[in-house]
Amino acid sequence: MTDFAIRAEKLSKRFWLHTERRTGLKERFIRGKAPKAKEFWALREASFEIQRGTTFGLMGQNGSGKSTTLKVLAGIYRPTSGLVEVNGRVSALLELGAGFHAELTGRENIRLNGAILGLSRRQIDSSMDRIIDFAGLGDFIDSPVKIYSSGMYVRLGFAIAVSLDPEILMVDEIIAVGDEEFQRKCFDYLFELRKRGSTIVLVSHSLGLIRDLCDQAAWLEHGQIRELGTARTVVDAYLADVNDREVRAHEVDHAAEQKEVVENRPVEHDSTAVPAADAPSATPQRPGSGEIRVTRIEYVDREGATTSVLVTGEPCTIRMYYSASHEIPSAVFGIEFFNEAGVNVAGPNSGRVGTWPVRPGDGYVDFAVDELLLQPASYRVSTAIVDRGHTFDLADREYELRVRGRGDEEPGLTRMPGIWKPPVPTQPVVSSTTLDGR
Amino acid sequence: MTSSARPNASPWRYRSLIWNFAQRDLKSRFKGTALGWAWSLMLPLATLLTYSLVFSVIFRLQPPDFGNGRAGFFPVWLWAGLIPWTFFLITVSVAMPTLLASGPMLQKVYFPSYAPILGGVTAILVQSAIELALLGAVLILFGSIGPTWLLLPLWAVFFVTFVAALSVSLAIMNVYYRDLAHLVNVALQLLFYLTPIIYQISLVPESWHGIPLQTIVRLNPLALFVDTLRALAYDLKVPDIWTWLGMVAWTACAIGLAILVYRSHGLDIGESI
Repeated sequence: MTDFAIRAEKLSKRFWLHTERRTGLKERFIRGKAPKAKEFWALREASFEIQRGTTFGLMGQNGSGKSTTLKVLAGIYRPTSGLVEVNGRVSALLELGAGFHAELTGRENIRLNGAILGLSRRQIDSSMDRIIDFAGLGDFIDSPVKIYSSGMYVRLGFAIAVSLDPEILMVDEIIAVGDEEFQRKCFDYLFELRKRGSTIVLVSHSLGLIRDLCDQAAWLEHGQIRELGTARTVVDAYLADVNDREVRAHEVDHAAEQKEVVENRPVEHDSTAVPAADAPSATPQRPGSGEIRVTRIEYVDREGATTSVLVTGEPCTIRMYYSASHEIPSAVFGIEFFNEAGVNVAGPNSGRVGTWPVRPGDGYVDFAVDELLLQPASYRVSTAIVDRGHTFDLADREYELRVRGRGDEEPGLTRMPGIWKPPVPTQPVVSSTTLDGR
Repeated sequence: MTSSARPNASPWRYRSLIWNFAQRDLKSRFKGTALGWAWSLMLPLATLLTYSLVFSVIFRLQPPDFGNGRAGFFPVWLWAGLIPWTFFLITVSVAMPTLLASGPMLQKVYFPSYAPILGGVTAILVQSAIELALLGAVLILFGSIGPTWLLLPLWAVFFVTFVAALSVSLAIMNVYYRDLAHLVNVALQLLFYLTPIIYQISLVPESWHGIPLQTIVRLNPLALFVDTLRALAYDLKVPDIWTWLGMVAWTACAIGLAILVYRSHGLDIGESI
């Protein structure tokens, strides 16, 4: 009895980069074989084992070999060298609805996709109602999928892949599709599958998702495994590395900044400085009347230095830069944080302490935090400037905040500050024998 | 049980998938047309009428007699030759671009590359089987039916396997050498006239300018299969053992080629498209 679902041993995958493909016979005859192709190792000697019933995350930057790994595990690519052992029926979700045929109805496509996933007719028929129900397509199920909206298409694809009771489910960044309600449904389903003991392999850019959903994770860099371990340690190591790199980039940039004369166009200027926290400029498409707009936000760590990554449990300041074209008699500043599942985790605003008048010109507002309660993950940040129901400016999830941990994380959406106290006896027991007497 | 990332690749294991691909092809082919399935019989009928007109009315070709001794009727005789040819022609032309068309699918989910090709073959086979059944009905009307018909299933197994294996090879190679589709189109044109469909093989001169023309025609596997069908269904004669051995040999060659091509080129289609 083996207890692993997937075992990869020294897995490597090489691609040939043809500068020019010669698929024509004539070209082959006249100009000989294609010139020496450059080899490219998308994956090099990766070894890992995924235990049955656990969830495994693959993370890394674009081009790091995550998707290649998944395709090798799913059997779409054959490894150039190394060994993959898979123990169970695999359902790969590399693209929702990849196997759909436009002319066929939803129901017929369910049959076709089920067969591609290796299910018998009986298995498909017994899951049919569940799939139709999960996809929530109603009467559309008997219409050709070519008339489906893209959302319906995706929903059907996801419903098929997850409803057919995969023993091993491989998911590639597909969560970021569909409307918010469906996304929530997808997450719930993944969590439920995990609870039921399915093995899940997840490729994602979302650090929060990997941290929340995965037991183990691998961080890939240039096709090699840089870090392998529990999801939490790998995510932290990744965030620490991103932070280091951004600090270095910031220092280089800071040096360049000093050579410049005056900083009068902060938005454009800053977009190169801190890639994590920059705005795509205060766009006129933003909601709000626009007399005052937030131009960018900055994160300041406990040492008072600007940073792009904040640390859970440490003090920090969030600085909103504004630009006002008019005299604003009263304004309330607000920030909102959304996690990757789209949940609004916190939304502090200055209305609690009153409203402020703002003079025309540029400036900033600080929101100082004694102890950051956000958990390590990546957040979308909204800013707003309002006044009793009137909106001056709303930057809906325009900014990003990355938070890393110190290694003392607790589960949940946020930390809960508090003090634990030792047990206090309210009715002291005289002797152990009295226990039975009561 | 532990297995590699790809399950055992025998076509039998994938029969349900192949059948699903076949259903996809069948359902999508005439979807949205008013006449639907009727169209699948329209094209062979038109070909049959044209050729009958040109070759029996204008060129006055004489068909051989029916197996029961009745005077031959050209359209029926021609039809018996056209059915296997049409099956071969359509299968090959539909199979060639199949993998290129399934590209996005093959890159996202694993299934053996021969599955959609064999699905396509199956879909066309369904159509050809209907045509063959209609031919049988017509032959019965002419009173030409005999025990040789019992050998038809055996013939069909060889012929269908031969065509399917050849289609798999061509479709896979077409991914790597895109010229192949055009080359095959030209070859199919020549092959039609190299196969005794509109003429009897005995009409071909033994030697023409020193070229052993009849031997060339006889070496053509399609001539073998077409002639055998006619012998069994129309002439009501059982071909000699060499004919059967020839069909076995050609079928074995085609299977061998298909396995060779699949092993060398068919396993990495997902990254080659």
